[in-house]
Amino acid sequence: MYKMTDEYANLSIDFLVGFTIFMLAFIWVVSIIPGLLIGLQSNTIDYDAVAYRTGVILAEDPGFPVYIDRSNLSWEEKLKVDKRDVVRLGLAISRDTPNLLSQDKVNGFFHTTLDPFNVTAFNYSIAEDYHTRAIFGDYPLYQANISLREIDRNETRSVGDVIPLDSSYGYIRRLIMIKEPSIATINASDNKNADNVSTHKFSILLNTTKLVLGEVKNPAYQINPVKEQIMINITDLNKTINQPSVNITLSSIAVKRVGDTTPYPFDELYIDDNSVPQLLLPVEVTNKVSLKFKPTFFDLNMVDAEGSQIYLTLTFNLKDSGGNPMNSTFLNNTPGTPFNYDSPNNFDYNYNPNNVRQPQLRPAILEVAVW
Amino acid sequence: MVSGDGGQLYTIEGVAAGLIMIMTAYLVVNATSVYTAGDTHINDMQLEVLGSDALKMMGTPANITMNSVDNSTLRTIIESNDGNKFNATFFPLINNRTLQESDRFIQYTASYTYRYGVDSVNSTFITSSRNLTGGEHTVRATKWVVVNKQLPGDSMVQDRAVLVEVLMWRD
Repeated sequence: MYKMTDEYANLSIDFLVGFTIFMLAFIWVVSIIPGLLIGLQSNTIDYDAVAYRTGVILAEDPGFPVYIDRSNLSWEEKLKVDKRDVVRLGLAISRDTPNLLSQDKVNGFFHTTLDPFNVTAFNYSIAEDYHTRAIFGDYPLYQANISLREIDRNETRSVGDVIPLDSSYGYIRRLIMIKEPSIATINASDNKNADNVSTHKFSILLNTTKLVLGEVKNPAYQINPVKEQIMINITDLNKTINQPSVNITLSSIAVKRVGDTTPYPFDELYIDDNSVPQLLLPVEVTNKVSLKFKPTFFDLNMVDAEGSQIYLTLTFNLKDSGGNPMNSTFLNNTPGTPFNYDSPNNFDYNYNPNNVRQPQLRPAILEVAVW
Repeated sequence: MVSGDGGQLYTIEGVAAGLIMIMTAYLVVNATSVYTAGDTHINDMQLEVLGSDALKMMGTPANITMNSVDNSTLRTIIESNDGNKFNATFFPLINNRTLQESDRFIQYTASYTYRYGVDSVNSTFITSSRNLTGGEHTVRATKWVVVNKQLPGDSMVQDRAVLVEVLMWRD
């Protein structure tokens, strides 16, 4: 049996066992430290997830409520009355069209106010407005910035806080397209007939049955007067007159549906590019008449507007400088009297690009930053 | 001075060094599972969403025509082999920002694949913003497009489904 005579640079087994147990315990403690820090480190990852969620809701969801009928309007229409009726802020045209956004929803989303008592526009500093409808964060209250840039127009709109330059933030970028509603621009010179009279009628047909239930089913390209704005510009009125110094008076606009006896009022009328809507008729016109119908107009005025034939009939009177009726050719597609609804000459607001500039999809970028 | 070494260790330095090596190895192995992989995945997801959105936009016509033919940018590009147009459309789309200037650090290479003959597939290069060197961590975005074209192996112009594939990476 060997006996150690000098313990220099040697270990006893007891010390070795004790030291090993200590080191194993130490390793175990050290190894759980990264786990302890995960809670602190993962903030950025959480922010990315929140930004992604918000991006998906905005780009792929139509929000809530969605349009069902005249008593269940979509959120962007409810917003015009009371924002408390808006539940979720999605911007898509429908849930079948991800990444294709509605112009009206985009306008409603970025229509902000600083007035805390305004109930028809969102106020970013009121937590309920955007946080509970698009960002969905209770605690901690995320700060966010949502911005949208239209590529062709180089226009940027944004809502939210200023993005911090000195710290990280969660971020997502979506590429989307915004649907621009249709517009009919009618050149009066192309729509006159030989009637040499002092009263002229011009009739426009909105066949919503055909527009909504007809050949175009894709909501991205559909013209739907019940859900989207309709715009009609009638230009070059004075070029249709074959007499000198004639005053043109727009005396009435009848919005009528086949079968209904009383006409409905018109929505918004602009005369000669005046930015203030004309409320009363008759009115003198020099060259241009613009008619605009908001998305809710037809539905709020008539039951089952989506399955109707609606006629817009404009009546013009021509007078000389003394105020006496004066005969001339003019914008007129209703030859003869009495006025006939089923006239084949009615201007048809349809899917023919020669008649109506079709809905266009404009490319844009949507960015969501959350921190 | 040790004259025999039965049941004893040589030096405390040897044991300590061994334990430190084990501890280090353990920490290194353990550390790789902490969120580095997760971060990478999330970056990839952002790129993937971006590429998928860009292809979706290019595959969506801006308006409809009377004869209802798909006149999307992507279809036109493949039918006319227009790599320059693809680059002019796709590259700004994936790099443009809203509130800040584009930094143009996302690169890509694009191709399309189609069935060739009975059982084989063929791939045609469209264009790229930079050549792949092999070291990039790319993500893939794809979109099926129906084109009216005479592809290699076809006897005539006909409607064919091709898979447009874009590999993207951060520079």
